[in-house]
Amino acid sequence: MKKISIILTVVLVLTMALSACAKTPGEKTVLNVWSFTNEIQTMAIAFEKTHPDVDVVYTMIPMTNGEYQTKLMATLGTDAVPDVVALEAAFVKKYVESDFLADLKSLNADVKKANVYPFVTEVGTYDGVLKALSYQATPGARFYRRSLAKEYFGTDDPVEMQKILGDMDKYVAAAEVVKTKSGGNTYMVSSSGDFMNLFYANRAQPWVVDNTLTVDPMVDKMVATAKTFRDSGYESKATQWTEGWFAGMNDSLKDAAGNPKKIFSYFLPTWGLPYVLSPNATSADKASTTVGDWAMITGPLPYQWGGTWLGVMKESKNLKLAKEFIRFCTLDETNLTNWATGVYTNEYLKAIDPNTPEGQSQAAGDFVGSKVVVEKITKGFDNSTLAQFLGGENSYGAFAAAAPSVNGRLMQGTDDEIQRALNDPLNAYLEGKTTLDQMWTAWKDAVRTQLPDLTIK
Amino acid sequence: MLSKINKNKIGYFFIAPFVIGFLLFGLYPVYNTIALSFTNATLMKSSSKFVGLLNFQRLFADSTFPTAIKNTWELWLMNFIPQLGIALLLAVWFTSTRLKIKGGGFWRMLFYLPNLMMSATIAALFFSIFSLYGPANQFLVRAGILFEAIDFIRNPQVMRAVVVFIQWWLWFGQTTIILMAAMTSISVSIYEAALVDGSNGWQMFRYITLPLIKPVMIYVLVTSLVGGMQMFDIPMLLTDGRGSPSNSILTNNILMYMKFRSTDGLIGSASAVGVVIFIMTTFVALLIFYVLREKKGEKSKEISS
Amino acid sequence: MNKNYRISNNIQRFFIYLFLVILLVITVVPVWMMLVNATRSTTQIQQGIGFFPSHYIVSNYKILLSKGLDLPRGFLNSLFISSMVTLITVYFSMLTAYGIVVYEFKGKKFLYNSIIVLVMIPTQLSIIGFYQYMSKIGLSDSYATLILPSIASAGAVFFSKQYLESIMIKDLVDAGRIDGCSELGIFHKIMMPIAAPGAFTLGIFAFVGAWNNFFNAFILITSRAKYTLPMLVQTLRGDVYRHEYGAIYLGLAATVVPIIVIYFLFSRYIVNGISLGAVKE
Repeated sequence: MKKISIILTVVLVLTMALSACAKTPGEKTVLNVWSFTNEIQTMAIAFEKTHPDVDVVYTMIPMTNGEYQTKLMATLGTDAVPDVVALEAAFVKKYVESDFLADLKSLNADVKKANVYPFVTEVGTYDGVLKALSYQATPGARFYRRSLAKEYFGTDDPVEMQKILGDMDKYVAAAEVVKTKSGGNTYMVSSSGDFMNLFYANRAQPWVVDNTLTVDPMVDKMVATAKTFRDSGYESKATQWTEGWFAGMNDSLKDAAGNPKKIFSYFLPTWGLPYVLSPNATSADKASTTVGDWAMITGPLPYQWGGTWLGVMKESKNLKLAKEFIRFCTLDETNLTNWATGVYTNEYLKAIDPNTPEGQSQAAGDFVGSKVVVEKITKGFDNSTLAQFLGGENSYGAFAAAAPSVNGRLMQGTDDEIQRALNDPLNAYLEGKTTLDQMWTAWKDAVRTQLPDLTIK
Repeated sequence: MLSKINKNKIGYFFIAPFVIGFLLFGLYPVYNTIALSFTNATLMKSSSKFVGLLNFQRLFADSTFPTAIKNTWELWLMNFIPQLGIALLLAVWFTSTRLKIKGGGFWRMLFYLPNLMMSATIAALFFSIFSLYGPANQFLVRAGILFEAIDFIRNPQVMRAVVVFIQWWLWFGQTTIILMAAMTSISVSIYEAALVDGSNGWQMFRYITLPLIKPVMIYVLVTSLVGGMQMFDIPMLLTDGRGSPSNSILTNNILMYMKFRSTDGLIGSASAVGVVIFIMTTFVALLIFYVLREKKGEKSKEISS
Repeated sequence: MNKNYRISNNIQRFFIYLFLVILLVITVVPVWMMLVNATRSTTQIQQGIGFFPSHYIVSNYKILLSKGLDLPRGFLNSLFISSMVTLITVYFSMLTAYGIVVYEFKGKKFLYNSIIVLVMIPTQLSIIGFYQYMSKIGLSDSYATLILPSIASAGAVFFSKQYLESIMIKDLVDAGRIDGCSELGIFHKIMMPIAAPGAFTLGIFAFVGAWNNFFNAFILITSRAKYTLPMLVQTLRGDVYRHEYGAIYLGLAATVVPIIVIYFLFSRYIVNGISLGAVKE
C-alpha cells in the first residue's frame, strides 16, 4: 500500500512539473502592465488585436497618495514585479535615472522612423541610455480671451499676439497694458504659479550640477517676475486648481466683495484644453460661458507639463514582449493615428475584448509624440469641437508649432521636490512676510531635509 | 496553594495566540523600522550600508525637526483637551440616570459619524472653504467683518486652527463612545448610595466616576497621545503635504513622510524619524502611567466611603 | 426641596439639549456637504462648495458604472475582510487581556509593558518590507496578510485589558471555578457577556478601521477581483488630469453608508447596566 502511494505521488509530481514547463497550445502569454490611469488600457486592448496570443493583464493603482510608487517599489525582487510600467512626468526621471528600467535601444530605429519630438526622448534618456518613451507629447501653450485681446491690444489674431508676447519682458509689459486698460479689473494671469513652469523649462543649467544645488538665473528672474506681478496687481492670486482659477475660465470670478474680475490668459498644456479649460469654460450654473472666445499661442517661452511615459522593468520575464508593447504604444504609426483620431471607440474595443468597461474609449485630440503622425493628421482637426472652442483655430496645429522647441534635457529626478520646496517660501516672500534672502534660506533648509547628500551653499 | 500556581500557568495559554501572531506578523515591521534607521537605505537603490547614528545626528541638526516636534505637541494638545472635556461631559450626560437625556444612542451615533469619513475629502472640503475665492472670504467680506479677502490658506494661525478643529471633529465621537462603554459598567447602586449621602453631581463625578474609569482613561490618554504624536492625515492633505504655510502644520510624521517620499526614498533616514517619535511617545506615556498609577488601597477606599 | 431639585434638573437638561443640538450641527454639516457632492457634477464641485443637492446623481452613477468597477464584488470583499478582522481582533485581544488580568504568571508584567510599547511604534514605513516578507512566505496578493496580523493587535489588547480591569470582578471567576467551569469556559460563558459593551465598542472601531484602510490594501493586494470597495473608489482618482469628482463623491458616499448601517445595527448591544445582574449574584 505504501509503495503504491509513493509511486503515485512521484507520478503526480512529475506530471505537475512537466505541465508547468510545457505550454499547452492556445495558452496565451501574460503581459503585466501597470498604470495609474485607465488611459493606456485602450492601447492594451488594441495590442491584443494585433497580438492575439498575448493576454495583457492591466492593473490600475492610483497615485494620489503614493500607492502606485510604493507598490512598485515593494514588488522589486519579487514575482509580482510588472513587465511594463507607466510613469508620470513628476516621477518619470527618477526611474529613468535608476537601475530599474531596461534599455530600449532596440527601439532606436523606430524612434527615428516615427520622428519623435526631441523632448519626449530626452526625458526618457539618462546617460545616453533610452529607458522610457511616451505615446504623447505635452507641450504647453498660452490660451487667451479673444474679446479681451481685441479690447487691450486691438487684435485677437494668434500670429500678432505671439509677436506682442514673444518673450518674458514683452509679456510683463503687456501685463501692465492689461491692467491699465481694464482699470485693474482684468488680471493678466490667475497666479504666478501659472507661469513658473515656463521659467523652469528654459534654464541653461539643471538644478543639480556635480551634486551641488544650482540656481539658474532664470529662477531668479522667475522670482522677480512673480514679485512684480504680485506688487503690481497683475495676478488674481487664485492658485491653480482652486475655485477661483476655474471661475476665471468662465468669467464668473468675483472678488470677496462681489466685484466681477476677469482673467486674460491661462498657461495649459495639451491635456489642459479638453480636460480643464473646455469643461470649465461654462460656469456650473450655466449662467456664463466663454466658449468660442479663446485662442492659443506658443507664448513667451516653450515648456511642457505632465505626460505619461512607458518603461520596461529590468526584472521582467518577458523583456522582448514588453519592448514590443512599448513600440506598439509609442511608435507604431497605425496605433498612434488611431489613438489620436478617435478610432478607439468603445464599440471598437468591445469587439476585441467583450469585457471592456462602458466608459473605456479614447476621444480624438490627444497630441501624440510622433511628428510623422502629427503632420499627417493635423489638417483633420480643422473643424473639430476644440477648434470651434478656439474660435476656429486648429489646436492640434498650434501645439505642433510649440512642440519642437521644448527642452527636455534639463529634467532631473530631483526636480519635483526641489521645485515644490520653493513654493511655500516664495509665497511668503510675495506676501511681504520675508525678505528675499530669508526665502532662499528657507528653501535651502527644506531641500536639505529631503536631499541630505546634496551640497547646498 | 498548589492549585493556584497551576491555575496561573494557564495564563500562558491565553496569551499564546497573541505571542505567536506577533512573532509571525508583528515582529518584522518593528524590526524593519529599527534596523533601517541605522542604515543609509533608500528605496531606489538595492544596496545599503550601516551608518550607525548618522541619520539621528542629521535629524537633530535639522532645523525643521524642533519645529515639527513643537507643532505636533501644540496641534495635539489644542485638539485633545477640548476633545476629552466634551467627551467626558457627553458620556456623563448620556449615562446619568438622574438626567435622563433621551436618545443617547442616537446622539452617540451622529457624533461618531465624522470618524467614518475619509480624511482626504474632509481636508479638501476645508481647503475649499478657506481658499482666497472661497465661501469663508465671500461671507466675511460681504458681512463687513473683513475689509478685504485674506488668503487663509497662507495664514499659519488659521491653518493650525483648521487642523485642530478637524482633528477634534474627527475623534471626539469615538472618545465619547469609549468613555460611555466604561461608565455604563459602573453599578448604579454606588451612585444611589452617594445620592443618599448627599453628594452632588460634581462630587459623584470626581470621587466615583473618575476613579472607577481610570484604567480606560489611561487608555484614552495614551492612545490619543500616540495618535497625536503621529498626526499625519489632516495636516498632510490640507495644504501641500509639506506643512505649509511656513511649516506651521509640519508634524513629526510629515517630516518622516517627506523623507520617505523624497526622490531617493530615504527610508533609512525616515525610519530614524520614526524611532525618535517612538522614543518620545514612550517617554511621555511612561509619565502618564506613573502619574496615574493605582495607589495602594485607593480603589476600595472610594467605594466604601 | 423636591420641586427645586426638579426645576434645576430641567433647566440643566434644557441647556444640555441646546448644547447637543449645536454640537450636532457642527458635526453633521461637513458630512452633509460631502454627501451633497455626490449629487453634483464635477464642474460644480471644482467651481465651489454647495449646501444644496443638485441633480447629477444619476449621471454620476452612470460614470461610476462605466468605469467597469465591480462594486458589489468590492462590497462583499470589504465585508468579508472587515468582519474577519473584527472577529479576530475582538476575540484574541479579549482572550489575551483576560489572561493578563486574571492570571499571575511569570513575565506577565514584561509582556504587558511590551505590548503597550508596541502601540507606540510608527509602522507606516514598514509596509514595503512587510509586503516583501509576506511574498517570501508565499502570501503575496492574499487576504491573509490583511486579516491574520489582527491576532496580535497591540492596541486592541491595550484597550481590552484596561477595560476588563475596569469591570472585572474576581469573585465571578472563583464562582465559575466552584461551579466546575473550565478556565476557557469561564472566559466564554461569564466574562464575555459582561464585557459585551466593551467588546462591541472595540468591534465597531476594528470594523471601521479595516473597512476604510485602502492604502495598505493597495500594497498587499494586486488582483482587481480582490479589490475592496474603498480601493475601487480610489481608482476613480486614477484619471490624473481628469478627476470625475462627482462620481468619486458618490463612490465615497457608497463606501460610508454600509458602515453607518452596521454601526447602527450593533450600537444597541452597547447596553447600559449589563453588569448589574452579575454583581447582585
